[in-house]
Amino acid sequence: MLRALSLPIVLARAKVPLHARTLTASAPKFPVKHQGVLPTSQSPVVATLQFFNSVTGGAGQIPTYRVLDGIGIPIEDAEVPEISEEFARKLYESMQLLPTMDNILYNVQRQGKFSFYVGQYREMGVLLWRGFGIDAAMAQCFGNQDDRSGKGRQMPMHFGSVENHFHTISSPLATQIPQAAGVGFALKRDPERRDKNVACVFFGEGAASEGDFHAGMLMASTIPSPTIFIARNNGFAISTPAHEQYHGDGIAARGPGYGIETVRVDGNDILAVFNAVKEARRRCLESGRAVLVEAMTYRIGHHSTSDDSFAYRGRQEVENWKKIDNPITRFRLFLESKGWWDEKEEEVLKAKLKKDVMTALKRAEALKRSDLRDLFTDVYGGEEPWNLKEQREELARLIKKYGEVWEPWRSELKRFRDEGKKLAD
Amino acid sequence: MFISNSFALRPMNRIAGLVRLGCAQRWQSTVAVEPPPAGGHLTAVASSQLLRATRETALRTPGLTWFEEHDSGPIIGGRETRKMNLYQAVRDALSTALAKDDTAVVFGEDVAFGGVFRCTMGLAEEFGRERVFNTPLTEQGIAGFGVGIASMGHTAIAEIQFADYIFPAFDQIVNEAAKYRYRAGGQFSIGGLTIRTPTMAVGHGGLYHSQSPEGFFIGASGIKIVIPRSPLQCKGLLLASIRDPNPVLFMEPKILYRSAVEQVPVDDYTLPLSRAEILVPGTDLTLLSWGTPIYHCETALSILHSPPASLEPYVPPSLRTAKIELIDLRTILPWDVETVVESVRKTRKLVIVHEAGYTGGVGGEIAAEVQKKAFLRLEAPVKRLTGWDVPAALQYERFNMPDAIRILDGIIETLAY
Repeated sequence: MLRALSLPIVLARAKVPLHARTLTASAPKFPVKHQGVLPTSQSPVVATLQFFNSVTGGAGQIPTYRVLDGIGIPIEDAEVPEISEEFARKLYESMQLLPTMDNILYNVQRQGKFSFYVGQYREMGVLLWRGFGIDAAMAQCFGNQDDRSGKGRQMPMHFGSVENHFHTISSPLATQIPQAAGVGFALKRDPERRDKNVACVFFGEGAASEGDFHAGMLMASTIPSPTIFIARNNGFAISTPAHEQYHGDGIAARGPGYGIETVRVDGNDILAVFNAVKEARRRCLESGRAVLVEAMTYRIGHHSTSDDSFAYRGRQEVENWKKIDNPITRFRLFLESKGWWDEKEEEVLKAKLKKDVMTALKRAEALKRSDLRDLFTDVYGGEEPWNLKEQREELARLIKKYGEVWEPWRSELKRFRDEGKKLAD
Repeated sequence: MFISNSFALRPMNRIAGLVRLGCAQRWQSTVAVEPPPAGGHLTAVASSQLLRATRETALRTPGLTWFEEHDSGPIIGGRETRKMNLYQAVRDALSTALAKDDTAVVFGEDVAFGGVFRCTMGLAEEFGRERVFNTPLTEQGIAGFGVGIASMGHTAIAEIQFADYIFPAFDQIVNEAAKYRYRAGGQFSIGGLTIRTPTMAVGHGGLYHSQSPEGFFIGASGIKIVIPRSPLQCKGLLLASIRDPNPVLFMEPKILYRSAVEQVPVDDYTLPLSRAEILVPGTDLTLLSWGTPIYHCETALSILHSPPASLEPYVPPSLRTAKIELIDLRTILPWDVETVVESVRKTRKLVIVHEAGYTGGVGGEIAAEVQKKAFLRLEAPVKRLTGWDVPAALQYERFNMPDAIRILDGIIETLAY
């Protein structure tokens, strides 16, 4: 539909089927007028010089899909998804867990118990929804021996879980976007998962400026791969506001350029996101092709614990968005209107979540780290290369020699499960 | 306008054609310097003694391991070999990999019609366009897409059209592919990823069709880097790379695509990674190289043993009987330190030859390690004969790449030290 609007004048002149976008070397099927035809496109030839700069025509912006208004009431004509009370409560409880963990972990980081923390606006919610568990999240943040995401090798918040089909997060931005296209392609080729599963990749509007975004969208559309691209447009990439990130109509406007079905959705409206992603998934499976979803939201927290966002935006602006347009508040008001939630349950839930998080925190804090030996494992699969073996044995020798007398090592060694004793094995 | 002109070099049908002509020209023009002496020093890849001319010698290749299906019985009768050049050997290996593994796919720029170097000829017709397909012209996309496929446990065989164009994929290879298993605590891995790319000089490739970027990747612990020297080596090492549980960068010396011809076993076999091969045993000096320069080394040894009249004054008679041990490193990362060091402990002298530049080249890494492990045995400084620290200037190639005369000089200097 968006595409239909993009060339209104042109379409009126030469009746080209809207779906005919594929490059072709064969003769065009539509009637040839005197204007002539092009060798590599079915673009109609026109005599009027016209430049354009909008996918919607007339410089209009792509609309944002919304179901609930700011106080949780369905807007006119909006289709409220049919969700059960149980499902709705699980959604809400998962959403509430995030700020609880956020507040506690944020403070823990400030006390110096671990090195780094980024706020809830990333994808921990996806994992928690899938049952990753608070303990596993804590283990990763503390990098203790229970950290199955990465044996304490990566910075906090770099989760991964094979059981939850969640590929391990890495810091380089946008690298996972073409990888997701590859995952989508592999799913399509897998007889067990074909027509059942899609790949899904999340990224911010800042990451979408990386070349890998371009590459990923291009790969998934050209080599048809059932992949959902979900752009989280929260207005900031660290300090850079979105208007310094791009001059076009957000990320969504790029989708049609790649021939990818695209939708923009209110990211603070969980029912709108639910509807949009559900439909995106259906289309993705049906066509075997990629879909782009741009979720518009606002980054309430600082970029990370290494960032003080009040250096580049007003404190009041943040407070306003927190109050006016908060996805949790909005959904809570909806639940209350359905009679599925009340103040008392809210208090019980908050107390329970706080207790759960504190329990997991204390547990994670008390655990030792993985074996120091794991500094050297998993670099390669199969035979350990000679250089790694030599270096491992060298560290073992040095620890044997200085481990007790060199204070920076002595105290640190006690924090590892093997205390460095397995290094030479 | 200039941009579109230079870009037109990219879809290299033209270069592929030039490779065909260029190889012959390059090697034959060396012959033209003067006729070989009675003993015959080798001046062309085509007549190299290192290539296996007969079925018997091919089947006796050291380290060759037949890859059998688990349920197949003992093989009745002998193994067959077929005469192949290097691109045909690549194609044969890819065909074998696709036939044996339903998850395997081959993709890259222009691979569907057979590839600009003919390495994927007929594969799309044989296995279908879903398994052998073109990608858009995006190296970071190709590498990232391959990482994604491999992360699902499938086999991804990606092609980067020239090693010179691998740098846009550097981030995907170094930050992603190399670290995928480690950062995931072993939960996820991308062992099924192999990235093939044509490498090294071709006679007239200029700055961006000549590079040997292996040195840029040796710090990327987690990947393997493999460079074959011949068709038989290529098939065995490529199949080993595809099946290795780690991502592998497989660099094919493009000047050898047509010029190197030998008998290659028809059946499925592998050659071991991280194992160097001693091609010529010796006791007086170790000569180490990989890829194309292996043949320049062979020529240099031939000249050393029986110099043509014009070079006789430069080759002291006392050195002509020197026994030089020629080693093909084959795997650049992780490299076979044991074979190299053992050789140097015996010969006490080491000369390393590679096409990439001197500073930051793989030779520096090897020289440092050999110096560490064989310090008391060394009787001469480790000599590195490499491309100069300049880009691959088009009209200057003969003076940039280490050729037989430079290798001969390096050997004589080191022997006489």
